[in-house]
Amino acid sequence: MIESILLFILAILTAPFFSGIILKVKAFFGGKKGPPILIQYYTLIKLMKKGSVYSKSTTFMFKLGPVISLGAALTVLLFLPIAGHVPVFSFHGDVIFILYVLGLGRFFTIAAAMDTASPFEGMGAAREAYFPIICEAAFFMILILFYRLTGELSLSSYFSGPNPFLLWNIAGAPLLFVVFSFFIILLTENSRVPVDDPATHLELTMIHEVMVLDHSGPDFGLIELGSFCKLFFYSTLISRLILPFDLNISLTFVLYFMGLAVVSMAVGVTESVMARYRMDRVPQFVLTSFALAFFATIITLEFI
Amino acid sequence: MSQFFISILIILSGGILSLVLARQAKSARIVSVFLISFGCLWGLIDITSTLIHSISDERTFEYLNIFSLSFKMDGLSAFFLFAVFGVCLLSSIYSFHYMAHEKKPVRVAIHYFFFSILISSMALVITASNILTFMLSWEAMSLSSFFLVIYNHEASENRKAGYLYFVFSHVGAMFILAAFAMMYAHTGNLAFGSMTQVPETVKILIFLFSFIGFGSKAGVFPFHVWLPFAHPAAPSHISAVMSGVMIKTGIYGMIRIYMLLDLHTPLPGMVMIIAGAVSGILGVVYALGQHDLKRLLAYSSVENIGIILMGLGIGMMGVSSNNTAMAILGFTGGFFHILNHSIFKSLLFMGAGMVLHQTGTRSIDALGGLLKKMKITGVTVIIGSLAISGLPPLNGFAGEFLIYLGGFKGVAPDTPAFIMAILAIISLAVIGGLALACFTKVVGVVFQGEPRTRAAEKATENGAFMLFSMSVLAALCVLIGIFPGFIIQLPLKAVASLGLGFETALFEPVMNITGNLSFGAMVLFLVFFLVILIQAFFYNKKTITASGTWGCGFTQPTVKMQYTGSSYASFIMDFFRPVAPLSEDHPAIEGRFPLKTHYKSHISDIAGLHMNQVVVDPILFLFDKLRWIQHGDIHLYIGYILLAIVLLLFFI
Repeated sequence: MIESILLFILAILTAPFFSGIILKVKAFFGGKKGPPILIQYYTLIKLMKKGSVYSKSTTFMFKLGPVISLGAALTVLLFLPIAGHVPVFSFHGDVIFILYVLGLGRFFTIAAAMDTASPFEGMGAAREAYFPIICEAAFFMILILFYRLTGELSLSSYFSGPNPFLLWNIAGAPLLFVVFSFFIILLTENSRVPVDDPATHLELTMIHEVMVLDHSGPDFGLIELGSFCKLFFYSTLISRLILPFDLNISLTFVLYFMGLAVVSMAVGVTESVMARYRMDRVPQFVLTSFALAFFATIITLEFI
Repeated sequence: MSQFFISILIILSGGILSLVLARQAKSARIVSVFLISFGCLWGLIDITSTLIHSISDERTFEYLNIFSLSFKMDGLSAFFLFAVFGVCLLSSIYSFHYMAHEKKPVRVAIHYFFFSILISSMALVITASNILTFMLSWEAMSLSSFFLVIYNHEASENRKAGYLYFVFSHVGAMFILAAFAMMYAHTGNLAFGSMTQVPETVKILIFLFSFIGFGSKAGVFPFHVWLPFAHPAAPSHISAVMSGVMIKTGIYGMIRIYMLLDLHTPLPGMVMIIAGAVSGILGVVYALGQHDLKRLLAYSSVENIGIILMGLGIGMMGVSSNNTAMAILGFTGGFFHILNHSIFKSLLFMGAGMVLHQTGTRSIDALGGLLKKMKITGVTVIIGSLAISGLPPLNGFAGEFLIYLGGFKGVAPDTPAFIMAILAIISLAVIGGLALACFTKVVGVVFQGEPRTRAAEKATENGAFMLFSMSVLAALCVLIGIFPGFIIQLPLKAVASLGLGFETALFEPVMNITGNLSFGAMVLFLVFFLVILIQAFFYNKKTITASGTWGCGFTQPTVKMQYTGSSYASFIMDFFRPVAPLSEDHPAIEGRFPLKTHYKSHISDIAGLHMNQVVVDPILFLFDKLRWIQHGDIHLYIGYILLAIVLLLFFI
């Protein structure tokens, strides 16, 4: 339990680091030196020192937005087996619970955006409300596959200890599909290219960034930390799947963080070699993740 | 059961006294609200003890010595009665201030009369234990609610809504009657009793007929066409009762028939799940596309009926495939969602009623910024929206969670329910996401941002009784969400009374699940509390300034530039274009200095569209040709009756 809590705190502390890796990889592809790898820590510290400007249109929902979105991300991490270790909390069905907790975070992010009466934020909110629907369907499809394989319905039964390795043993080929499916979900849920471009300069083309335009200071810091935690959550799922080995504690630990770094680099590479899709093409891209998960499940019908 | 009949009598006396006192507007209102609420409260207390002690009781009254009216109370009836009395109690309290500003006292009195009949007939439908009693109460329920729908009959759209509702409820009743006739033909007994001698194929036919009949009351796609018209037309507390509990009598009917039939084929489960998935997804898609707040809520009822059907369908699949855990979880989840939906949907209709009361409009795009001046309404509606989107830690999530778990039980290897379970799970996931989009639209466009019109700017909130009802419902949403363990007993009792032969020991796992949900809710609250502390810490002694919203460089923003509900939804609606065709009216802009233009859009419901083309138009054409039969001569009408009787004699 104490180890799990320590790992949970470690996860929060290291989460901004991986966002730094993405920026570094992008800078490398751009032939630039890029910001320091700890840039996100500096940004967070800077934001936390500042005060805030609130729009006159806003209500208490605007202040609640950052709290709930970060709170949701943290709750999700509490149920996540970090480095293959058992999570802080776990119960039968916790996967469904955390997916809906992420939905709760989304509800309040959208509500905070709509609170500002800004047309741009409304536009971002409309997009934010749309794409995750498909992601959720894809995630549930993956859960159906995992449930068929293990008969369990909790994150720790899929991702902690030797469990990912067992998954590969039972159904290796479908799991490849799942890795790709998770990667697409990661790109969508964390507003990365080719779904959303976090570095764009035109508000009209943003999704997540435009929704938090009016947040400033510590509030914005909380939102940023929340999104790092969310990225950490999805990266963990993929990291445990691509490096499923359960060796002695320290080696698993190293492997796990290598996996996270690999995922971040993959995100960076994707962002460097691809352009963002036109908005109306995005759903097709996200639907691919659902199709992959669906095929993976269909394949297992043969094996069992 | 005598307590139950006393409560019905109290409710009815409230309705009748309001007619007697019709001229004294205020006293009529006070007397009828008091008696109706008191009757509901009386009933609620009685039902609670019935449920807790699992009492079942029967009463029979002879009527004209020809047929008997018999009533039976078991766990299933008591469960539905609990929802009926609870929602009606709060709705009638709400109506006290809602009806305060009505100009026509007699009409208000008549409204209370029909309101009391509606409540009592719903209660009687649920307890009826033979075919005749059921049909009589069913008709009383349909007719009284019809009169409530046309409360504002001056507006032609309300008359149209009433007409549509009338047609649908009677075609539905016809199907139910056909199903009952088949039952009677094979058992020779009017009572709802054993059906062992009915052949399997007839059982399936009975199930399908009653599914259509009850489905048209419950609002199952494609028989939901009346719902989006009737709910906006009725006064808001009536909408709350109709959407919160009256449509659930349709669900009750389905379950009662299913229970009597004792079917063991997978067909009923499949029908329920497929109909549920279609109603659920299309219901929420149409809800998202609406411009009218109450119509949006009406479509959302179609969605929630879909979720309930899926839950019950999973239960039926579990029964047919001998998967006890799946059956219990599915049925319990479905019943739980019935209870939850009646709570948050009546809350949302009451909120919409308050908005309508204050601003005089139901158009979403004409509102905005109401949260600042309507604090209690705003907060309760936000809670209701979170609950209906199925988000933890509120009650909507608890019910859906059970349905999910039931669905996953069907996914396990070697169960025949595999495809249906996948369909249910994925539909639930999609519905959850779409409902979130739909209700962020309600919260974001109606309650947040800046007011778009003068009416929205001037809105305030008053009416303590209205606010009281809404606060109670919102508190229930939160409490049930955090501690589902208490209230889950009611659905469990209902499931136990289904007579499916489950051991009570099997209910233990459900209690574990609710324990987990409470635990999850606690964790959430703890984390939120910590983050609020962190936020407060970082804002300690900081300069906080207020300013206008950042306009991305544009310095003259107006409220008209805000994102409207239509534009918020349009992105998702594009994806569903094939099932939700959009019609636009937007003349091309001409000249260098265009003066005036307009834009109108409407999302059509394909069920309504096709029903017009395929059913209504041909029937109208046919009956138009037969118009000569209706000539208005009473002697010939008597002749028709004679002729009909003579013709019928040939068949005896």
